[in-house]
Amino acid sequence: MAHDPPGTTYKINKGKIDTEFLRNKLKLKSLEAKRSFQEKYPHAHKFLADRGVDLAKIRQHSAKVISAGALTGTLLLSPPVGIDIRAPLEISKNVDKPLQETFLGLLKSALPEKARPLLRTEEKSLEQVFQEVIGVKTKATLEGEHLNTTYGYIGAEQHLKRFAGDSMGVHPAVSEDDEGMAPGRGAWGYVPGDVEKWYAVVQTLYLPDWSIRQPYLRDWYKYRKVLIVNTKNGNAVVAAIADAGPAAWTGKHFGGGPEVMNYLGGPRYKKGPVVVFFVDDPENKVPLGPVEYNKVNVPILALRQV
Amino acid sequence: MSKLFFDHLIVLSEVDRKIKSLAKSQEEKEELWGLIDEIVHHRVFDLILGKLPKEKHIEFMEMFHKCPNDEVYIMSYLEKATGENLGDYIKEEFKKFEKEILSELET
Repeated sequence: MAHDPPGTTYKINKGKIDTEFLRNKLKLKSLEAKRSFQEKYPHAHKFLADRGVDLAKIRQHSAKVISAGALTGTLLLSPPVGIDIRAPLEISKNVDKPLQETFLGLLKSALPEKARPLLRTEEKSLEQVFQEVIGVKTKATLEGEHLNTTYGYIGAEQHLKRFAGDSMGVHPAVSEDDEGMAPGRGAWGYVPGDVEKWYAVVQTLYLPDWSIRQPYLRDWYKYRKVLIVNTKNGNAVVAAIADAGPAAWTGKHFGGGPEVMNYLGGPRYKKGPVVVFFVDDPENKVPLGPVEYNKVNVPILALRQV
Repeated sequence: MSKLFFDHLIVLSEVDRKIKSLAKSQEEKEELWGLIDEIVHHRVFDLILGKLPKEKHIEFMEMFHKCPNDEVYIMSYLEKATGENLGDYIKEEFKKFEKEILSELET
């Protein structure tokens, strides 16, 4: 009869205890926070309860408000950004202006100063820029699906396991600052090697209809191609969605695998603003990896490192 | 799309790192993220209502109910109503909160 090697049982138990311990601690803290709020502010608690809103689940309330089209306040007061890309593109061709410089200028005109969910008109302008300037056909809304947000911060993620027993011992590190390998599997299980090399993480867990439109959404998002554009230097990469996250309280809205982050901003790039759109690729012809529109004519603007 | 007006103020990177290092599955990770989410929501409202004059509590709750995502609108209202930079206050309090959670998990 086979036995676990010495130490294995201890390791398994230790892992189990740690996760349960963490869950119990957090559950306790959550209950305490809830009780304390209700005791200190019963009128606020009643206000929400009367409207069927649970403070623990206000993200769903926000999703409902936004998807009902009830955008109010600042977003409606700030004029949507719209741009005409023909003139800058013509100038770029005629005076041999680096395409990356033109692209960055257009991004600056098309985007609000601070990262925030984009208006439909802003997304339409960007779709045009991406197709005309860097040659990738994209959609912010594809087949009726839209990400949680399309302009936000991306953060560095770890490698995903490609098979049982995968580890950094057999997976090449991308840089000295490589984040290593995630202990568990990705949201869609083990990831094929070609996908793992260029993978993206999006907040499917916060989609307003994620839990009710299953298994359709899960299948739709699995390895779905997205274009990720670093809005600070114009570097762009096509990646496949292979994991869900990051959590809302990390200050990030997307994640990129080590290769993706390295291409977008260099080996020390850990977080930065990006635009993420779906790649409109019904025939599956767009390859994963860098979009090297800037390779030939931008020798001076080697903006890999930000 | 789901966004809350205080999302940009809360960064708990070390707690996230801890969860990622321990969770063995996506379900487990999302469950733990959800528990932190619940604690964060209650703490944020606790901090805000603690600073706002009581007569403005319902006005703020109505504003939140109507546009929960609008950080500029709500944060500028809060700063005007309290005369304080509530954004900085919330950020500082959550730095302490992160340390508190991490130290509890060590014990």
